[in-house]
Amino acid sequence: MKKKALGATALLGASALALTACSGAAGSGGGSGTIDYWLWDANQLPAYQQCAEDFNASQDDVQVKVTQTGWDDYWSKLTNGMASGTAPDVFTDHLSKYPDFVKTDQLLSLDDLDADTSIYNEGLADLWVGQDGKRYGLPKDWDTVALFYNTAMTDEAGITAEQMASLEWNPEDGGTYEDVIAHLTVDENGVRGDEPGFDKDNVAVYGLGLNGSGEGMGQTEWSFLTATLGWTHTDKNPWGTHYNYDQPEFQDTMAWWASLIEKGYVPPLETTVGASVSDNFGAGKAAINVHGSWMIGQYTGYDGIEVGIAPTPVGPSGERASMFNGLADSIWAGTDNPEGSLAWVEYLASTDCQDVVADHAVVFPAITSSSERAAEAFAAKGVDVSAFTVHVLEGTTFLFPIAENAAKVVGIMKPASDAVLAGTAPVSSFDQANEQVNALFQ
Amino acid sequence: MSETRALLTAARRRPRRFQWRLVFPWILVTLAVAVSVLPFYWVLRTALSTNSMLASHSGSLLPAGFNLGAFARVFGLQSPAEAIAQGGSGASISFWTYLLNSAVFATATTVCAVFFSSMAAYAFARLRWKGRDKVFGLFLATVLIPPIFTALPNFLLVRNLGLLNTMLGMVLPYLFMTPFAIFFMRQFFLNMSREVEEAAMLDGAKHWRIFFQVVLPNAAAPLATLALLTFMTQWNEYFWPLLVASDDSTRVLTVGLGVFKSQAPQGAPDWSGLMAATLVSALPVLILFAIFGKRIVNSIGFTGTK
Amino acid sequence: MATTTIVLGRRGALRDGGARLRTGRSDVRIALLFVAPVLLGLIAFYIVPTVRGLYLSFTEYSILGSPEWVGADNYQRLLADPLFWNALVVTIQYVLINIVLQTAVALGLALLMHRVAHSTVIRGMLLMPYLMANVIAALLWFWMLDYNIGVVNQLIDGLGLPRVAFFGSQEWAIPTQALINTWRHMGYVALLIFAGLQAIPETVYEAANLDGANPFQQFTRITLPLLRPVLALVLILTVTGSFQVFDTVAVTTQGGPVNASRVLQFYIWQKAFAEQEFGYGSAIAVVLFLILAIVAFIQMRVLRGNESDLA
Repeated sequence: MKKKALGATALLGASALALTACSGAAGSGGGSGTIDYWLWDANQLPAYQQCAEDFNASQDDVQVKVTQTGWDDYWSKLTNGMASGTAPDVFTDHLSKYPDFVKTDQLLSLDDLDADTSIYNEGLADLWVGQDGKRYGLPKDWDTVALFYNTAMTDEAGITAEQMASLEWNPEDGGTYEDVIAHLTVDENGVRGDEPGFDKDNVAVYGLGLNGSGEGMGQTEWSFLTATLGWTHTDKNPWGTHYNYDQPEFQDTMAWWASLIEKGYVPPLETTVGASVSDNFGAGKAAINVHGSWMIGQYTGYDGIEVGIAPTPVGPSGERASMFNGLADSIWAGTDNPEGSLAWVEYLASTDCQDVVADHAVVFPAITSSSERAAEAFAAKGVDVSAFTVHVLEGTTFLFPIAENAAKVVGIMKPASDAVLAGTAPVSSFDQANEQVNALFQ
Repeated sequence: MSETRALLTAARRRPRRFQWRLVFPWILVTLAVAVSVLPFYWVLRTALSTNSMLASHSGSLLPAGFNLGAFARVFGLQSPAEAIAQGGSGASISFWTYLLNSAVFATATTVCAVFFSSMAAYAFARLRWKGRDKVFGLFLATVLIPPIFTALPNFLLVRNLGLLNTMLGMVLPYLFMTPFAIFFMRQFFLNMSREVEEAAMLDGAKHWRIFFQVVLPNAAAPLATLALLTFMTQWNEYFWPLLVASDDSTRVLTVGLGVFKSQAPQGAPDWSGLMAATLVSALPVLILFAIFGKRIVNSIGFTGTK
Repeated sequence: MATTTIVLGRRGALRDGGARLRTGRSDVRIALLFVAPVLLGLIAFYIVPTVRGLYLSFTEYSILGSPEWVGADNYQRLLADPLFWNALVVTIQYVLINIVLQTAVALGLALLMHRVAHSTVIRGMLLMPYLMANVIAALLWFWMLDYNIGVVNQLIDGLGLPRVAFFGSQEWAIPTQALINTWRHMGYVALLIFAGLQAIPETVYEAANLDGANPFQQFTRITLPLLRPVLALVLILTVTGSFQVFDTVAVTTQGGPVNASRVLQFYIWQKAFAEQEFGYGSAIAVVLFLILAIVAFIQMRVLRGNESDLA
């Protein structure tokens, strides 16, 4: 009797354990000949899947396996993988993260490829060279920012597309940029922002949507304005060690932007926590949203909304500006197949793959000829992307700031910028934040 | 207790008059049920909507652009191109694999944890040994440990054992014990009547045999309750399986749902897909609940007293 | 891996198991056998990591490098760190609001279930929110409470009242988190309290009725005191769980607006994983652990959860 009972329970326990061991066999493809490749943007997955298939078919030595993990979980999984020795061989890298990877020796240098960087749009390749002079990424795509606007609203307000495409800005009165924003703001009684009797506490449609406070980078929030004042985030770029948040150009721009909230043209910061700024646009709550080229699909997809795209306003410098961001693929230093990884990265950075990406019309590939092809693909879908490409053509881009300690800088600047926009701290509080940021580099 | 039963039966026999004093309490009950259940309606409504129309129809109580696409996405029936067109991500979802993995994970951890915890609970409740209460105190204290302490070291341990991306690695930390299970069963054992045990002991039976042949069968009700509750908790585990099982073949449902969350920075989640996935992943637990519901609800607080 | 665990009934009424029969003989050997598996789990997956975490709190460690001993630097730093104190204050705010709300609602629901709603269906429906994973519940409410396109604010607007920035305003951020948590757990906690209510014999109430006590007096003089052990245990574990809130904040406000919801566990995660200062994060975690131990100890003493007035 005793044995039977014991036996039964033991069997139960054992079978449970056996079940667990059997199902889900270890499958992280670590054998030589297989390359693990990670990316986060699911919209680009089909394009890269195609590249992988083409690459796999073209030779027998290396087989590439593509895995997609959403942005929210991507970096923590990557870091955990690096810590535990299970990181992928090749992965999509980001300018704000790669300096810290270089610092902790997690990336393999790509110098052996001896790549020809002239085929890429200007400036992109330089971003991925470390302070030691070695190359850690080959450019894959680029993005700029522009104004997405609701054409029904601009038509009703009597603003033409030409006017939208030639806006001007200055930090004192906001120029025609502020005029248009004010005119497009409508309160619940139908009174526009620049008309008498405008009720700023009961706004139905805001002229300009608010994404957030910019967290120190301000890619889509304010950097395209500060750049027209000659302001740069750091003393030099890439690899700056001193930030400039205490300079008047930055503080004046933030003050101007905060004033728009006070005037009722831009929603209060607290109302933006929750649904994305693009969803609010899609709900007809804002007339203009400044956003990046990776959001084209999102904005053009909203039911019942016709979207126009205008370039960023021209500033006191006489030119417009846009932050130029570019992703690249990096190789993990712990890879067990460096030759295969290099081959795959080379393929990704060539027209073979970038033309495929171009045809999917989701992003702009880094190679100049491929990005032109992408512009055509977008046009074929009915989207005019000249507002994004104008910066590349006219050379009005400035680089995403590359520096170490990116996460800590954000950790300091996000609450500081939030406080200023919320009106609970004056612009001068950035002086103190700047000191804290610069202390990180000492 | 029998008096209460008599009272209740008596109450049922009396003709039911409308009792005004019950109106207010019933209003409260209705309110509570509404608050608990209505959000699930919203889940259903969003799951049956089209993503691009959600923003513009945010006030409507009916689905915005009735569309079964979300459910198709959840079951992996849509092609990536279709999925992206509907505002979802192009990532593939091996729904049935994830479902199986979740089932295995939840079942394995439940069976083992409940079993081992019951054994330990018996030792804490019925056996005499030096330091028993101190050791029990130690188990109590585990509740106080911030999870951050355990997450990374456990991850490294599983990696060192070579068990990353395996089901075994995923269940390992939960396999041996769950603090709640130990308390729960110990409570029951403490309050359990001793007669049958004492009779068996007089017959000369050893503790081991008593446990398996007398105690466990007696404890069937709370064991079942505990198992169901543990299963529900394990079914909904997210962060640990995310860390350990990144491979498609070992992913569990909750992690698989991550594909519906926002894929790119500043992007929006695939709301309809996410809501559809929520419903579908809650379904197995809901079914279990429907079958065993009465047992859980009525004995959830089982203290061992009649 | 942490879950809000709740214990029920009377813990601590430690009676010696079968001491009457066995003459002082210790069951150590058999006990060891019974306890071995869970002890293994305890040591391997709880104790060892905690000790390691304690060690790491005295180092500087970025996960990708190796730990560097820095002595008590991390602790000195945290005493001077305004964000640490902010996290402490914010977490305490959350715990207070959440516990008061959750316990009051759950107690009310338990009473309703005991007196009015005897149907299993209704009780089951109240348990439904617990079926949703924590992360999903947070996302759902994030969507429903959105300022612009959330259905709740649409309703508020429709009633002519000003919209509420549930997650965006500094005053509402923490209370909203507490509301979500209460929504998810109220049915579950109510059922546990309900079990305690069931253990109170009807005879006590009948006697009180005969003495002319009204329902309110019955509640305060009979129900509450006799519920004390159950309430004590529910409170101890829900308070501990509340101090460790993380999921909902990580998915919704991420510490914002400004720092209004930057609770301890989130701040720890931010420092340890996002900013790669695992040593500093560990130090804060150790402090959190100590706080929890002290709070639990005080609660046990004050609430005298070991005793029951029923027996």
